[in-house]
Amino acid sequence: MGVFGIFYSRDIISVFISYQFIIISAVINFLNFSQFLYQSSLWDKIFIIFGITSLYFLMFCIIYYIYLKLDILDKEALYRDFKLFKITRSDWWGEDNI
Amino acid sequence: MNFLLYISEKTNPFQSIIVLSGAIFISSFFVISERRAVKRFLITLISISLILAFYLNIYSFISIGSFSNFLLSFENLQMIEVSIIIFSALNLLFFISMYGIDNSHFIKILSLFLFSTICAIFLAIARNFLLIFVTLVIFILVIFQLITALNLKIDRIRPYIMGYFLRPILTAILFFFGFSLFYGATDFKDFSQILQSEYISNPLIALGLIIFGVAVYLYFFLFPFQGPYMKLVKRNELSSNAVIWFSYFPVGIFMLMKLDGLYSFFIEKNNLYASIFLIIAFICILAGSIGAFKTNSIRRIISFLFLFFIGIFILNISMFSAGIITRLSMAWFNIANTLLMMFSFIPIYSIFSSIEKSTDSDSISNIRGFGRSNIYMGINLTVIFLSWLGFAYHIGPFIKYFSGTNFLEIGVINVILLLVIAIAFIFLLINAFRIIIQFFKKPLTGVVEKIVFPRFLYIYVTFFTLVILIAAIWGLLEILNVDIGIMNFKITELSF
Repeated sequence: MGVFGIFYSRDIISVFISYQFIIISAVINFLNFSQFLYQSSLWDKIFIIFGITSLYFLMFCIIYYIYLKLDILDKEALYRDFKLFKITRSDWWGEDNI
Repeated sequence: MNFLLYISEKTNPFQSIIVLSGAIFISSFFVISERRAVKRFLITLISISLILAFYLNIYSFISIGSFSNFLLSFENLQMIEVSIIIFSALNLLFFISMYGIDNSHFIKILSLFLFSTICAIFLAIARNFLLIFVTLVIFILVIFQLITALNLKIDRIRPYIMGYFLRPILTAILFFFGFSLFYGATDFKDFSQILQSEYISNPLIALGLIIFGVAVYLYFFLFPFQGPYMKLVKRNELSSNAVIWFSYFPVGIFMLMKLDGLYSFFIEKNNLYASIFLIIAFICILAGSIGAFKTNSIRRIISFLFLFFIGIFILNISMFSAGIITRLSMAWFNIANTLLMMFSFIPIYSIFSSIEKSTDSDSISNIRGFGRSNIYMGINLTVIFLSWLGFAYHIGPFIKYFSGTNFLEIGVINVILLLVIAIAFIFLLINAFRIIIQFFKKPLTGVVEKIVFPRFLYIYVTFFTLVILIAAIWGLLEILNVDIGIMNFKITELSF
C-alpha cells in the first residue's frame, strides 16, 4: 500500500501517509520477528525507538520547511498536482530552461 | 608522554571526531556574530581542525592499528574512507567560504557543515545496523539543513529542495524496512557476520537486499529518476552543489561499499541478479554520458558525469561477481574511482564556478577560448581532464581475463560487460575532449577576455594537477616495471 501510494498519489500529504505505511509495516516486522523468533529480545525495541525518532525528525523538518518557507502557489501545487516520480524529457535530454 | 599515548589509545577511532567536535564547540560561541574578522578566524580554525583530524586519523591507525567492537569497525578501508571524507570536507570549506562568506548565517552554516562531516565519518566507520541507520538519517537531515541554509535567499529554489529531499527520506524508510527483514532472517547485527553465516541464503536476506538496492538507487537519483537532482543542481547556489557532489554522493558510495559483499554473493549465485545489475550499470553509464553530451549547461554536464561514475561503481560489483576481478581489486577500484572523482571534479568545479560567478551563466560557451586567455589554468584543467584516461585501468583485468580464451567461450554476460566498458570509456573521452576543445577554440567575438582568478585558486588548482601528475607518473613507472628506488611502496598493489 505504501509503495502504491507513493507512485499513484497526486498530493504531498498522501505521499507522507504512504511513507508512514512503510514505516508501520517495518515496525510490525520488527515486533513480530522479535516475538516469534527471538523470545522478545530488546534489540528490536531499541532499533524501533532510535529509527522512528530519527525518521520522524527528518520528515518533520521537511514538513516544517514546506509550511514555513514555501509560497502559497507552490503549496497549492503540492496539494493538487504533485508526483514524486515525475519524469520529464528535460531531465536527461537537452536543456532545462529556468 | 605516556599519558598522551594512553589518551591516544583510548580515543583511537574517535580522535578526528573529537577534534571536529571541539571546532563546533568553539564556533558555537560566535554563532550570532556577523563580523568578517570572526568569520575569517573560524574558517582558519576549522581548516586547522580538519587538517589535524586528517593527520590524526592516519597517525592513530598507523600507531595503534585497527579497532573493532560491536558498534564500530576501523580498519584499512575505513581509515581511507574517513580520510576521503575529511579531505572533501576541507575542499567544501573552501567552496562555502568562497561563495557564502557574506551570508548572515555563515557561522551557523559552518557548524552544520562540521556536523555533517562528523555524521559522515560515523557512517563510514559504523558496523552495527542501528548505528548505520541512525547516522545515515541524521546525515541526510544535516545535509538538508545545510542546503536550505545555503539557499536561504533564493526563493524560487524552495520547492526543488523539498522535491529533492523527499527521495532520500524514502531511501531512509526503505532502509528501515530492509533492516526489519534482515532482523527476521537472522539476529546478527552486522553485514560481515551475515555474509559469513549460514543464514545468507535466507530469502528474507535476498528481499532485504533488493529493497536496499532500490533505496540506494533512489539515493543516487539514478536513471530515470534523476529529475529532482538535475533541477536542484541547475538552480542551486554554487557551494551547495559542491555539498551534494563532494559530501552527499561519496557517503552514499561508502554506504554501497558496505553492501557490496552481500550483493556479490547473490549475483554469483543467480544469473538473473547478474543480468539486472548489468542492465542497471549499462543504463546508468549510457544515460550519464549521453545526457552530458547532449547538454550545454556546465552544471548539468558535471551532474550527468557524476551519475556516470556511480554507474561505474555498480559495474565494479558486477565485474567482481563475474569473476573478472577479486574482492580486493573491487575495493581498490571503488576507492580509486572515488579519488578520481574527487581529484578531478573539485578543481574543475572550482574554476567553472568562478567563471559562472563572473559571467552569470553556466553555458559551455562561456569557457570558449578560456585556454587561450588563461593559458596556465587551461593547461592545468587539460591535465585534470586527461586524468580520466586513468579510467582505462578497468580494461586491464578484462584483457587478463580474456587472454587465451576463445571468444565464443567467453559467455554472453561477459561480452555485454566488455561492451559496457568500451562504450563507457569512449563516451567519457568524448565528453572530456568536448570541453578541452572548447578551451582552445577561438572565442565567438574574436576578443579574448581574461578572467582574473584569486591567487589562491591558482595554488589550489596547481596542487591537484601536481597530485594527478605524480600519481600518473608513479603508476606508469610501475606498470613499465621501472624501479626509481625512492619508496618501497607500490601504488598498483595496494590491498585492503
